[in-house]
Amino acid sequence: MTSLLLIALLAQTPHAPQQAGSALLDPAREARVQALGKQLRCPMCQGLSIADSGSSAARAQMDRVRELVVEGKSDEEIRSYFVARYGEWALLEPPAHGFNWLVWLGPGLLLLLGGLFVARMVLRPAPPSPAPSGPPAPSSSGDPYLDAVRAELRK
Amino acid sequence: MNRRLSLALVGLAVLVGVLFFAFARGFGRDPHEVPFMLKGKPAPDFALTRLDTGEPVTLAQLRGEPVVLNFWASWCGPCKLEHPTLSRAARRHQGDARFYGVVFEDTPENARAFAQPMDPSFPQLVDPHSRMAVDYGVTGVPETYFIDAQGVIREKYVGPLLDEAELTRRLRALSGPRASGAGQ
Amino acid sequence: MRGTVGYAFVLGALLAAVFGAVVGIEGGLRRRAGTRAWVERATSAFFLCMLGANLTMVWALVAHDFSVHYVSQVGSRATPLVYTVVSLWSALEGSILFWGVILGVYLFAFMRAQASRPDRAVQLAQGAMLAAATFFAFLIAGPANPFGAVVPVPPDGPGPNPLLQNHILMVIHPPMLYSGYVGMTVPFGIAVAALLDGRLGEAWLTTLRRWTLLAWTFLTVGIILGSWWAYAVLGWGGYWAWDPVENASFLPWLTATAFLHSTMVQERRRILKLWTLSLALGSFALTVLGTFMTRSGIFNSVHSFTQSDIGPTFLVFLAVVVGVSIVLLAVRGPALAPEDALPGVASRETAILVNNLLFAALTFTVLLGTVFPLLREAFSGVRVSVGAPYFNRMAVPLGIAILFLMGVGPSLPWGRADRGVWRRQFLLPAGVGAAVLVACLAAGLRGAGPLTIFALAGFVGTVTLRELLVPAWARMREKGERPWTSFLRSTARARRRTGGYLVHLAMILVFVAIAASSAYVEHTTGTLGAGDSLQLGAYTVRFLGLKEGTEPHRRWIAARVEVTTRAGARRTLEPRMNFYERSTDPVGSPAVASTAFEDLYLTLLAFGQDARGDTASFNVWTFPLVGWIWWSIPLFVLGALVAAWPQRRGLPALGQERAADPARGTA
Repeated sequence: MTSLLLIALLAQTPHAPQQAGSALLDPAREARVQALGKQLRCPMCQGLSIADSGSSAARAQMDRVRELVVEGKSDEEIRSYFVARYGEWALLEPPAHGFNWLVWLGPGLLLLLGGLFVARMVLRPAPPSPAPSGPPAPSSSGDPYLDAVRAELRK
Repeated sequence: MNRRLSLALVGLAVLVGVLFFAFARGFGRDPHEVPFMLKGKPAPDFALTRLDTGEPVTLAQLRGEPVVLNFWASWCGPCKLEHPTLSRAARRHQGDARFYGVVFEDTPENARAFAQPMDPSFPQLVDPHSRMAVDYGVTGVPETYFIDAQGVIREKYVGPLLDEAELTRRLRALSGPRASGAGQ
Repeated sequence: MRGTVGYAFVLGALLAAVFGAVVGIEGGLRRRAGTRAWVERATSAFFLCMLGANLTMVWALVAHDFSVHYVSQVGSRATPLVYTVVSLWSALEGSILFWGVILGVYLFAFMRAQASRPDRAVQLAQGAMLAAATFFAFLIAGPANPFGAVVPVPPDGPGPNPLLQNHILMVIHPPMLYSGYVGMTVPFGIAVAALLDGRLGEAWLTTLRRWTLLAWTFLTVGIILGSWWAYAVLGWGGYWAWDPVENASFLPWLTATAFLHSTMVQERRRILKLWTLSLALGSFALTVLGTFMTRSGIFNSVHSFTQSDIGPTFLVFLAVVVGVSIVLLAVRGPALAPEDALPGVASRETAILVNNLLFAALTFTVLLGTVFPLLREAFSGVRVSVGAPYFNRMAVPLGIAILFLMGVGPSLPWGRADRGVWRRQFLLPAGVGAAVLVACLAAGLRGAGPLTIFALAGFVGTVTLRELLVPAWARMREKGERPWTSFLRSTARARRRTGGYLVHLAMILVFVAIAASSAYVEHTTGTLGAGDSLQLGAYTVRFLGLKEGTEPHRRWIAARVEVTTRAGARRTLEPRMNFYERSTDPVGSPAVASTAFEDLYLTLLAFGQDARGDTASFNVWTFPLVGWIWWSIPLFVLGALVAAWPQRRGLPALGQERAADPARGTA
């Protein structure tokens, strides 16, 4: 299909070719751009980072991140730039202050409490009960592991 | 055992209650809405060029008059739908406010091909790599920003602005005094 | 006419459910004779009415009957037949209708399976399940009614959501996932019955376990298919975004998995009864929560159905479910006292207890992260995001701990272990794990996370294979049989055990695949003119040109790309952008070239013309081992089938139920 025809065809639809992103930087700085991109939220997607998303808004924001990296801004400054415009919402991990501590410490606290509970249960001395273990294996091979497996299968 | 069980269940009930409270508060709000932090803040300066003449335009030049900025793209269907409303309004309110369109994530060629047939009554500006759009906190197209004569962003309208009365109302608000922080 | 017929069926289902719930619970509690037969009739009626309603809806969709409300929402004459049928579950009201028929199937199947059992617990369980069914029938009859009449009748409709017409997986992922979700209603009913009845005997526990395993299997397959769909359709190269609705499906899976492990301890030690029942109740509550999150419209998700007002109704139902569960546990819980204790630190029971702790922690973490933005906004009005970086940071360490435990638990015996003897059991697996680590380092792989997982995979894999093969080997030595016969016979005698370890193997595969496909991704992006190429790893990607096409429901632009590997193999791929009438943004279709060990993944970002001709911008990734995630599905299913396969009477089997004797009970 010749280019003229393609353009004419596309001009009929409300959709036309989009603009490509800016050129990549050298590997070291581009790695920084991508890392920052993974921390920032794409405004028109559902929960994706601007590095992962192929949408136009994500592309625009990645280009801006690239520019800011070239300008010599630090990671913190670049994050603040986006927070100043889109709010804390723009960061995919909530910054650790105030109410946000709940989401950072909550899981650890639960693990700790649960761990204490489990430890108490485990270390409680067993009551003298009629042990429900099965009969001894008929042919002991001298290997307690093998015997246990056999006993398990026979139960 | 009994007391421990009751304690655990009460604790669970409380946590679930808090959760339900949060859910109930969530009804009615739009989860796709993106926060806009620049409302009431000074609009960042920009230096763009006109799509038709290539002449430079900066925000500083426009100080003293209210400005309406409309972000659009050639691949955006709703932008095409809202354009006639904006064009009419721009003509009608020529003395009251300056209207400018800003091209978002699009090449100048595409933008020209899109705009020319619609004969816009206000200038369109080229924003390379949408740097200025990101500076303004744009989240997509179409979006329309209302900036007062002192260069403060009063509000932004997300989505196609199809109702001319709605547009006029916001324009009038631009000339009025800024609402105070409380009761907003 | 179709709308009226369908609605009549729905009302019938609602009446049957209400009747059956009341008779089931009341009749069961009061031990009224003859009520059981009525509950069974109600169950059959519910099933048949739901089936009728669904078939009527499919008929209306296929006939393009736009006078029916739901058809006018998702139907379209341009949509291919397959997607027309599938649109039954593509939007909110239809999906709840679909939920109803799956619930009907489960209730009917449960009834038939328990028909010969006289216990009143069965009746109570059916009553509880019909109570849940009442809610869904009420939803379909009221707030989410798909059969409403549309006047005047539109000539055509908008068609289903474009994203749902892109891939054949859309046909199978929702039914699988729904079968998993809906299936959790049965364990819920059984658990409620156990609490109401005041006992949880071996027979009833076996029933509880079996039905949970069934739902769990569907849920596992549904989740993996969903991640495959995300990978193949959404075009960002990922398969799990910790999206709220993805998390919603993950939560009941976690509790159900914890349940399947804790029942083993309950069987042997008769402890953890309340905990086990709570897990069963919780799994159902979490599926209702998940459904609420998907349909309430308050979560920002790729899955969200459009905003609707059934959210508050669901919240009320969820409150009732949780409330009833808590009350039952509080009032009837003390009747289910523990009868034994844990045998000590180095025992399989303790390992399973720790396993449950880790799963509970993971469930809590995922739930907290998912609802935290809502919490923050409810309390302080500020909007924050909790996305993939947070979940990865929290879930990965827990996942690694669980993987480690998968190797420790099976190595330990039931009951008190002799430390010295069992320490020796760890030597071989640990050695294999270390060897795997050394091999990876020698191959040039780096990164603490993936290397830990690979080493652990070696450790756990050895333990699991040993557990699978040692019984067969022991049998072979004793009986002198051939290896394959030994394996089959020993498997037949220990189906749950074998099935469980097969599932563990599948899980190891998934862990390894996730580690490799996350840590060793290679990525590049670039704009190419016709004839230009770019390089990624061993692949050369050359852009040939653009092409376009039209289908009844969409137009598309594709970039023809030739991919050459260093070995010389060539193929042509066509990543594209699809343009639908209904959507302003194009929906991309990625192109994937899969080999056994790696996927090459391409998406088209933008296209245009320049002086020389066509240009196109691409994103290119290589994902090592990602295909192993989907290929684990057959192994999961095999393991579950082996574990659930009913024993012939007379064969000794692990955990076989002793004769169903109501007097035995457990308390």
